[in-house]
Amino acid sequence: MQHRTANTRPSSRLVSALASIVLLALMTPCCVFGADTTVQVMLDSSKANPRTIEALTGRSLLRDYKFAWANLAQALETGSPAPLSGLFAGTARTWLNDEVGSQARSGLTTRYRNQSHKLEAVFYAPEGDVIELHDTADYDLQILDGSKTIHEEHVVVRYVVLMTPGADRWVVRQLQSVPHF
Amino acid sequence: MSSSISTVWAGPSVRRGALIIVLLLTAISYAQIGDLRAPSDAIAGEPASISASGGSAATLYLVGPSIATKRDVKLEGQIRLAAQELQSAGRYIATVCADACRSVAFFVEPSKPVHLTFLMHPSRAPVGENDVLSGVALPFDEFRNLVLSPATVDFQLKVKDAALMNHGASTQDGIAWFRTNSGRSAGVLQVVASINDVSELRVVQQVASEPCSLRIKGQRSPKGILVQTDPVRDCGGNPVPDGTVVTFTAKGDGQISTVDAPIKQGVARAQMTASGPVAISAASGVVMGNELRVGVQ
Repeated sequence: MQHRTANTRPSSRLVSALASIVLLALMTPCCVFGADTTVQVMLDSSKANPRTIEALTGRSLLRDYKFAWANLAQALETGSPAPLSGLFAGTARTWLNDEVGSQARSGLTTRYRNQSHKLEAVFYAPEGDVIELHDTADYDLQILDGSKTIHEEHVVVRYVVLMTPGADRWVVRQLQSVPHF
Repeated sequence: MSSSISTVWAGPSVRRGALIIVLLLTAISYAQIGDLRAPSDAIAGEPASISASGGSAATLYLVGPSIATKRDVKLEGQIRLAAQELQSAGRYIATVCADACRSVAFFVEPSKPVHLTFLMHPSRAPVGENDVLSGVALPFDEFRNLVLSPATVDFQLKVKDAALMNHGASTQDGIAWFRTNSGRSAGVLQVVASINDVSELRVVQQVASEPCSLRIKGQRSPKGILVQTDPVRDCGGNPVPDGTVVTFTAKGDGQISTVDAPIKQGVARAQMTASGPVAISAASGVVMGNELRVGVQ
């Protein structure tokens, strides 16, 4: 009686699996988010009113806002508006498209590094069709003319954010920086 | 609202002499750019200026929420920023580079509101429901900047020309909202949100609520029994909308048969097939009608 065992060479399978994981880990950030994926986002939904934010909604907001900033950073660093198409709409998308186009014409690029966002939901419409968030963001900002750095700073910027629900995600409609809340 | 930002722009020095030279050069460079001051109280869509001194030729970079430009300037007092460059509210960074670079950051505030985004829910509402209507209004300026300074939005609800409600709500973080009950009569409800000279109209169709009672009548016909309701109304006397389903049930000879019939022009009709004596009843939503007994054909 013959037994055919799939696990005849455990070490080679283990190496192969590890290699796959490492390869996946290396490829995923570059292909999805571009150069910098270190976007930290925290959400405080306790002050949202008049509607309360369900846990699932909170998770979706967190995920989509994080991706939005990763995509924003990628668009402004690579000079391509393509990453803006999924998670930005309306005025936010128009402004960012304009900025990317304007940068390309001027030969400028902008880099956002080490992003950290503290989000606070301040308004959630009764019917759930719009949410306003206050984002206290801090990041390293670098502006380059070609390869020459013309400006860099670590900065804290406050944003008033309007997001609306789409078919399967929340999209950023307004991203307006303000001196204070 | 503006801040001065020092720029990293010196190579590493190895020896002390080189360090001194670099510091001297840096000092000279700063002297060439001189003082750099951001505009104060900049408003979206209005020109502003950066004050700069030094006298030398330089490059001005302006990076803002929807713009990233570069142009040559002369550092002779005021550097004009065109209205078109400052249309988006938010944080701008103006960087002037000669031998060295210096930056200032400043904020552009939204202009006055000229657009109102008004979200009104629902588009159809039953009469006499508590807190069923809600509206959210967001004022924007002509460049689609959300106007965040507090302002009063007037919400007006009216049926035909009679005002049902006037409610002034102050915007908080750029949003004003209200919630209220629906009216007592079916028909078109006009909801107007206005701020300054800007107003937006939305229409809510108020429809009858659930039927209040059902009365049925019927008679034998060659094909069976023809049953129909009296005009179906809610408890406020409003005709229940066409399409509302009434379920007729006939019980007799140990059999039960049901027919769903939509209301047409206020009345629901159905043809029941039964030859023996039957008891027919009707129901719509949670309301049951009278029982109708029909004898043998």
